Amino acid sequence: MFQLNPLTKKKLRRFRSIKRGYWSFLILVFLYLISLAGELLVNKRALVVYYAGDFFFPTYGEQFSGKDFGLGYDYEVDYRELKRKFAKENKDNWVLMPMVPYGPYEMDYRLEGSNGFSPPNFERSHYCGTDKTERDVLARLLYGFRIAMTFAMGYLVLTYLIAVAVGSFMGYLGGKSDMLGLRFVEIWANVPFLYMVIILVSVMPGGWGIGWQVSSLLIIMVLFSWTGMTYYIRASVYKEKARDYISAAKVIGAGPFRIVFKHLLPNVVSTLVTFAPFTIAAAISSITALDFLGYGLPPPTPSWGELLKQGVNNLRTAPWIVVSTVTALVFTLTLVTFVGEAIREAFDPKKFSTYE
Amino acid sequence: MNKAKYLIPLLFLLTNLFFSGCDNPKLKPPRSDSPSKEEKTGQKGEMIDREFARELAREFGKEFAIEFARQMKGAGSFSLTEINGSVEKNSSGGSSGILNDRGEAHPLLAGCSEDVLEFYQKHSDCFSIASTGDIPADLNWQEGTDEKEFSSPDAQKGGTWEVFMRDFPRTLRTIGPDANGAFRSYLLDYNVMSLTHAHPNSDGYYPGLANSWAVGEDGRTVYFKLDPKARYSDGENVKVSDFFFFFYFMRSKHIQAPWYNDFYGKDKFQKVTLYDENTLSITFYKAKPDIVERVSIRAKPEHFYGELDGEFLSKYQWNPEPTTGAYVALPENVDKGKSITLVRQEDWWADQKRFFRYRFNPEKIKVSVVRDYNKAFEIFLKGGVDMFGLAKTEFWYDKLPDDHLLVKNGYLSKVTFFNQTPPPSYALRINSQKAPFDDLNVRIGFHHAMNFDMVLEKIFRGDFVRMNTVADGYGERSHPTLKAREFSVEKALEFFGKAGFTKRGGDGILINDSGDKLSVELLTGYRHFEDVLVVLKEQAKKAGLELKLKVLEPTAAWKAANEKNHQVVFSAFNSFVELFPRFWEPYHSDNAYQESGDSKYQDDGSLKPGLTTKVSTNNFTQTAVRKIDHLINQYREEEDLGRITDMAHQLSQMIHDHAVWVPAWKKPWLRIGHWNWVKFPDDWGPKESRDYEEFQVFWIDQPEKDKILSAMEKGDPVSDKPTIRIYEKYKSE
Repeated sequence: MFQLNPLTKKKLRRFRSIKRGYWSFLILVFLYLISLAGELLVNKRALVVYYAGDFFFPTYGEQFSGKDFGLGYDYEVDYRELKRKFAKENKDNWVLMPMVPYGPYEMDYRLEGSNGFSPPNFERSHYCGTDKTERDVLARLLYGFRIAMTFAMGYLVLTYLIAVAVGSFMGYLGGKSDMLGLRFVEIWANVPFLYMVIILVSVMPGGWGIGWQVSSLLIIMVLFSWTGMTYYIRASVYKEKARDYISAAKVIGAGPFRIVFKHLLPNVVSTLVTFAPFTIAAAISSITALDFLGYGLPPPTPSWGELLKQGVNNLRTAPWIVVSTVTALVFTLTLVTFVGEAIREAFDPKKFSTYE
Repeated sequence: MNKAKYLIPLLFLLTNLFFSGCDNPKLKPPRSDSPSKEEKTGQKGEMIDREFARELAREFGKEFAIEFARQMKGAGSFSLTEINGSVEKNSSGGSSGILNDRGEAHPLLAGCSEDVLEFYQKHSDCFSIASTGDIPADLNWQEGTDEKEFSSPDAQKGGTWEVFMRDFPRTLRTIGPDANGAFRSYLLDYNVMSLTHAHPNSDGYYPGLANSWAVGEDGRTVYFKLDPKARYSDGENVKVSDFFFFFYFMRSKHIQAPWYNDFYGKDKFQKVTLYDENTLSITFYKAKPDIVERVSIRAKPEHFYGELDGEFLSKYQWNPEPTTGAYVALPENVDKGKSITLVRQEDWWADQKRFFRYRFNPEKIKVSVVRDYNKAFEIFLKGGVDMFGLAKTEFWYDKLPDDHLLVKNGYLSKVTFFNQTPPPSYALRINSQKAPFDDLNVRIGFHHAMNFDMVLEKIFRGDFVRMNTVADGYGERSHPTLKAREFSVEKALEFFGKAGFTKRGGDGILINDSGDKLSVELLTGYRHFEDVLVVLKEQAKKAGLELKLKVLEPTAAWKAANEKNHQVVFSAFNSFVELFPRFWEPYHSDNAYQESGDSKYQDDGSLKPGLTTKVSTNNFTQTAVRKIDHLINQYREEEDLGRITDMAHQLSQMIHDHAVWVPAWKKPWLRIGHWNWVKFPDDWGPKESRDYEEFQVFWIDQPEKDKILSAMEKGDPVSDKPTIRIYEKYKSE
């Protein structure tokens, strides 16, 4: 139903030829895929446990209790302790831990005198140190990245869906619906985004778990920020609408839906694609900013904003938090921006404009 | 033609909008202080732009925060439910002596305006004038002579005390909307004198505006003789009629302070009698053991206010009343948005008065705005602020460690002072009305699932101690042996098991036979204690309990808890320094359900079904137990301190058994850092100090300040060992 037009395909080819942006894109995708499989790399649960002749794979699925491995408690096994125990017993049993053997929520208070803010320590596998409650910074960074990226993509898809719907509605129908729609968008766009989000989030009823809270935050953010794109969509649709091929389609007898989806949207896609990376960057920054202010994701969800806040408040005493978070943030946003610039360049019509 | 009809009004509207937008380039000061609705609607049409909306949101938030603070403070000890509970009694003014037969005011009330006189007359059962002969002859007059001064005769006057506040005060009134900010303490709480003051080192009193006082035979009337020297900062003497006026003021609707209206209402302060220029008596509704403190009010300068009207709020917004205290805020010393400098009166009337002569030493108090706490700390390290509270662990250990150069060189001191005051009641309050907490076993299991040991050890690094009862810090009145339930996975599982939660689900959380998860929501408004809750949450998983954290804005959290919508709320109330704790507000069933008294109980003592929840009370635990109710009723009526003590112990035990309140922690000390040019008495401060500013016993040593500053410039140490002091004189445990 939805075929890219040859021009768009050509543009995408051109994007691939812009090395900086293309590689950034690949790195970003790679990082995101890694974060999706984060449980295999950074986790308090072991990858494999060999106990009493059986293999266990605790990474995903239900948790194993201490009793399952001959420990005296029936809450979740502490695999690092189990590993030490197996090593001491020197039997056939063994535990294979991930590279970073800590979860994002877990406080590593086991060691004497660890009161939070431990500097990076390779022996304890805290490669980026720990935060105020002795949680591993790297683990929180990785899972924070996953959440931020997923959040940003959800944000992108939802805002664009609304913007495309409203924009093409206004652009294609024109006339009064365009005039009224535009006024509505203008008014809506003037509602101050950050304040509305802060007010709504602070009074949001809870109780349905973190998943619900995260998605309602997403919905609130989308609700107050979809307006920006509508203008561009509307303008592109207006432009395309006047072309001959649309008139031709009309003459053949195509209905408005067919025209919009089959003919108009593939030509408008370039606009969307050009903006997408910047929208992603904006979404990551605003979720970080909201977390920093304390209105974002509910605690103890790992988040960059929360880390940043801890880091700033303890700039002198725990510089590793701010250093690793800022590095991660700058790195990610730079990659996204490189991608964005490359796309913009690839889609720049000037290159193809010819005068007849 | 047709169109022109609309065009003219449209043009008119547009120009109007345009100009009203133009003449309004700056945001007007917040209008929350406007006294009446009429004035509010009289405002010009405003153009709502982004900046304005932002400002509005900011104001809105602040407004809420202040209201929240007010409620936290106020409701922490009293409920507002008793407003207007008094019965109006209209009696003729004849016997009160306010007017004589010819309808003229009594000479003691010579300066009263008509409105004020009318008020006294209308409430003539409350206000009366008697003759000197009516003072009982056998009164045992006290002057606080046995009490020791708690300040140091070494104190020197002079210097400027530099302090910071987080926000500029929105008014210099000490009452009414927005008045309850941090700055009010410098104007009122630390400054203005009362008739008498409770001695912070003993159970006795020391004289303030009154030189001597005596408790009447009924145990609820206290007689005061004013200090003839007492006067306000504008030079006027303090008159006995100012204590009449105090009640006119506090009961006025114009001050817009319902809490004060209620607190100083007729049902508590039943009668004020004037005898001569210096003598008055105040009658309280009950003969409480701490009656002198309860009726020791402050004087309200009648000559300054005259009478109150709808203009009160705006008229006195930036026009502070003359004070009986040492420090005056003069309008010329207010640098709006930046700082306020309070100046010590040159010939303060209490300069030589016992208990006051060595206090209030700095010549000026400069209170500057520093919005960010961390920034304030940096300013402190540069010497721009003289003292800084170091209660927070990371400040004490990490940001100003013992080997910090400033401490090592003897410029700065780190002080731990063990005090004895009722601590703010940090606790998890369980709503016993909401499932699964309607089951006692779940509540007890919940107690055992909260790992406060780890919180205390790891987050507070062993400096805080566990609170044990609902009424810690009241000396004899606190239960001597009761202990908070300890963290124990086994015990938690045992009690959860009794309640039917026996199996663990795939995520390790307990489930019962009908498949319900043992998952509860924990509400709080304290973002800064997030790490504590995170520890509790992670540890509770061991006991198969899922805690869902809900961290809201303080106001929103307060509202949710007030509506009794929470399952568990983590909060704290400020406690007053007083003789015995209060139980009625947080634990009486009348504050849980609308049905009053025993009508909510069935014969076997259980609650009737279908009761209506009562919102906006302090009974956050929805405690409703008949036995507790009855004991609280008795406790409130009781006048004998010994029996009050026994009952307080019993109540603490019963509430412990009811298991609705998981005590968190308390700080047994004050911890501050101060520059060494600030000097303190040998004991550092009185026993009941709640902060380092309260009793103002320190002084600024100017030569020392110059010495330290010049040594700092050269980098020379002024002492060879770090100045770290611990005062354990009042350490209780």
